[in-house]
Amino acid sequence: MKTIVLGILGIFMALPAMAGQELKVGVKGMVCAFCAQGIEKKFRAQAEVSDIEVSLENKFVKLKFKDGMSLSETKIAELLKDAGYEANFSAASKP
Amino acid sequence: MRRLSFAALLVLIFSTIGYSGRSDAHPVSYKGAWGLMSYNSPDMTEVSLVHSLSSRLAIGSTYLKSSDSEFYLPRVNWLAKRWNNEDSQANIYLSGGVGAEVFQANHQTVGMAGIGMDWESRRYYVLFDHLHLHRDLQRDHRPNYGYMKLRLGTAPFLAEYDELNVWLILQGERYFGRGPAGDDVELTQLLRFYVRNTLWEIGARLNGGWVLNYMVHF
Repeated sequence: MKTIVLGILGIFMALPAMAGQELKVGVKGMVCAFCAQGIEKKFRAQAEVSDIEVSLENKFVKLKFKDGMSLSETKIAELLKDAGYEANFSAASKP
Repeated sequence: MRRLSFAALLVLIFSTIGYSGRSDAHPVSYKGAWGLMSYNSPDMTEVSLVHSLSSRLAIGSTYLKSSDSEFYLPRVNWLAKRWNNEDSQANIYLSGGVGAEVFQANHQTVGMAGIGMDWESRRYYVLFDHLHLHRDLQRDHRPNYGYMKLRLGTAPFLAEYDELNVWLILQGERYFGRGPAGDDVELTQLLRFYVRNTLWEIGARLNGGWVLNYMVHF
């Protein structure tokens, strides 16, 4: 019984570590819906990305990655450049 | 010799001015994107389909019908310069192409060159656009065709990109070489609204007439 309880506790304690990572990246020049639509489409096409949230008001994209996956800053900057915009990592944060 | 000089002029236009587009149409979008744009008024219809090869270069084709001519214009659009600022964006677009004009059942070659400049924030928007269609003046005694356009816009409220965005726009434009339709300055008040990748504009000219524009990126 003790083993089972400890096992369940272990699983619950490990869950946050297993959950997908999130990253906020500031985007310079993202002022209109057309801008945001192109950026969203670029990131959704990446296998590592499970979801993306775009905020014109706060000028960032929030990327949610699949478990154990992420994108490098170089790749994120390249995707934003393909969309016509500029990454602002000084405005980035990991919640 | 005349044809040679006209061809040389087209090459000159193409190589020096490069490629253009209407900046209210976002003539270059993100890499791999397609854009369909249509501008309509009682005396003009314009439809363009463009494909962005990169975030700076797009190819496409424009069909333009004025009061007395039809133009078929394969084109290249080039984002010459973009300023991505914290709260705004500014662009310079150049475009060019060579196509055909159908006038009174005759086909003639025309060269196209254009420049577009814009600045926009989430609240304000300014645009200047100039399109020049060059006729072979030694064979065609009509003047060259083109237009200049200035737009000022403001958003009465700020919206997120998946919400309804609304803009109020005042547009002044002047056409050249338009024949019977005249070359007067026309003022148009427009209501623009868009959600995500689709944009509509409806407008009324101060001297009468309507405007209906449509754009989608996919």
